[in-house]
Amino acid sequence: MNREQTSRLLQQHGAVMVLGLLVIVGSLAFDSFATPANAASVVVSSSFLAIIAIGMTFVIISGGIDLSVGSLFVLGGVLAAYGSRHGLLAALLLPLAVCGIVGLLQGLVIARTGMAPFIVTLAGLLGVRGLMLAISDEGATTYLVEDRTFAALGQNELLGLSYPVYVTIALALAAMVLLQRTGFGQNVYAIGGNEQAAALMGVPVARTKVYVYVMSGLLAGLAGALNAARLSSGVTILGIGLELDAIAAVVIGGTLLTGGAGGISGSVAGVLLLGVIQSIINQVGSLTSAFQQVVSGAFLALVVVAQRLLSKAQRLT
Amino acid sequence: MTPHLRTAALALAVLLTAAACAKAEEPQAAPAATGTAGQQVVQSPSGSAGPTCTLQQFGGTKFDLKTAVVGFSQSEKEANPFRIAETKSIKDEAAKLGITNLKVTNAQSQFSKQITDVQQLIAQGVQLLVIAPLNSDGWEPVLQQAAAKKIPIITVDRKINAKACSDYLTFIGSDFYEQGKRAADRMIEALGGKGKVAILLGAPGNNVTTERTNGFKDRVKEKAPGITISFEQTGEFAREKGQQVTEQLIQSNPDINGIYAENDEMALGAVTALKGAGKEPGTIKIVSVDGTRSAVQGIADGWLYAVIESNPRFGPLAFETAQKFLDGAAIPDKVIISDRDYTGENAKDSLGEAY
Repeated sequence: MNREQTSRLLQQHGAVMVLGLLVIVGSLAFDSFATPANAASVVVSSSFLAIIAIGMTFVIISGGIDLSVGSLFVLGGVLAAYGSRHGLLAALLLPLAVCGIVGLLQGLVIARTGMAPFIVTLAGLLGVRGLMLAISDEGATTYLVEDRTFAALGQNELLGLSYPVYVTIALALAAMVLLQRTGFGQNVYAIGGNEQAAALMGVPVARTKVYVYVMSGLLAGLAGALNAARLSSGVTILGIGLELDAIAAVVIGGTLLTGGAGGISGSVAGVLLLGVIQSIINQVGSLTSAFQQVVSGAFLALVVVAQRLLSKAQRLT
Repeated sequence: MTPHLRTAALALAVLLTAAACAKAEEPQAAPAATGTAGQQVVQSPSGSAGPTCTLQQFGGTKFDLKTAVVGFSQSEKEANPFRIAETKSIKDEAAKLGITNLKVTNAQSQFSKQITDVQQLIAQGVQLLVIAPLNSDGWEPVLQQAAAKKIPIITVDRKINAKACSDYLTFIGSDFYEQGKRAADRMIEALGGKGKVAILLGAPGNNVTTERTNGFKDRVKEKAPGITISFEQTGEFAREKGQQVTEQLIQSNPDINGIYAENDEMALGAVTALKGAGKEPGTIKIVSVDGTRSAVQGIADGWLYAVIESNPRFGPLAFETAQKFLDGAAIPDKVIISDRDYTGENAKDSLGEAY
């Protein structure tokens, strides 16, 4: 294998490798790290962010950004808990419908008016959280999940892992196929690489963009709903800053913030990386909150700098 | 938008968020804390009326606290005096008792993280959990796992909406409704029973805000019909927000006589706003809840009228309760601590006991 291939491989799978390295270090350093219970807690808690990161990967590859996902996540959860009093179907459809519509509106504004996704989805972030506060009495009312079937969706386990993990795996596989093996996926890459060129080649730019934001909205709503099922309640204080975690995971996973390159597997690895860093900090169990933030910040900086150097090396060879 | 601009804008947003989170805490010349200064005292008679819980009823097995793995899950960053004192108290007491295996996590105000934190503490094999919950609902996954392993949970400062003695062991904390009532008593005293009062509300969506508000309003309605509450807005328990809201308040209600702040941070923000508007100390009476050192100093300086304490030093009481429980004693379903009042009369002398 020559140097160019090596560095390309490293950049694309850098997150997976750092993840593997961290897991090895963690297992050697702490007895209770590589236990099934701890591994399950990392995987289960990561699954919700992973679902959001899948949608975010499409958005970022298309050259956009979606800041509304954290708010859609909490709104989805509150709506699911609210809907659960009318049964399983309402608990799932209500959040999906509302979050899908928010995604559709954002996508239409971005695609039709050419406004910056950053601003449009920032408006979404604020507006959607306001909507959530409006239906939950300023956050003071927490709706409890009434439907046992719906709660089981978030809580029941198969082989030691709760159902949301399997939903995440299925969604990730579907997203990989969609991104790599379909015309739609190729269009997303083309728009992110060079929008004008893509338009000239006959790529349906506006339509593709709308789809991407609808998908991101739907996935954020679904993640919120599954999380509400897990917690058995529509907790109103969730999701603050979650959009930044999702963006960080996607970027750590090797997707370029400028669009046009990246993939799903990297994003999932990025999410797990964030989870493992947290878990290691918890294993130490004596760091102050300020120092915890310094440590996780330093880890992220390291990963991003390493990737930057690798992509430079790739260009030079 | 060009890629560079977008990256720059994102970086700017991240910076702004970070700046908004940073809290300026003036350095305090802390008097050396003596051994038991400001320690929590249980209200007597303590919970004798309520149901109790023994080790046998709970279904757990006795273990030695000293050699046990103990987990403490803190909800918010140690960036305000209450959280700093709370975490320190737990750590200090554990060290004092010779508990060497204390694991501390911090959810940094993210509820999902707190759930994961506690699950990972359970995965690390903790035998006792002390939790300062960020939110009262949504604890199902944690409670299931803890119940399966019969791990006793003591929640401090806020409650968990679940069943005592089966889902968790007990709750140790203040009576927030009572704090609101006592704040009202001080406000009535300060204003001589009549005037216009503004409320700086805490963060929406938790029982602390609701109970401190209801206690205050109920007491005012009952005791001083001459006092009208003419302004209410949330300051989210934060100093900057308290200052900002107070600045708007003195513009829109220049005839205001008193401000009830639901925590000290907001009260200190209000003081900054009043100073900025050129007011003299004491022209607007401020009553708040917490008992931080800066606020008690504020009473001594004449800016605050009174502070109702909300004692965050949960360490001694939490471990004492756990030890009693392990020894087979019956534990009440809630342990309510008795909080003191700081006023102009005792502020200077009590400064060493404030946190």
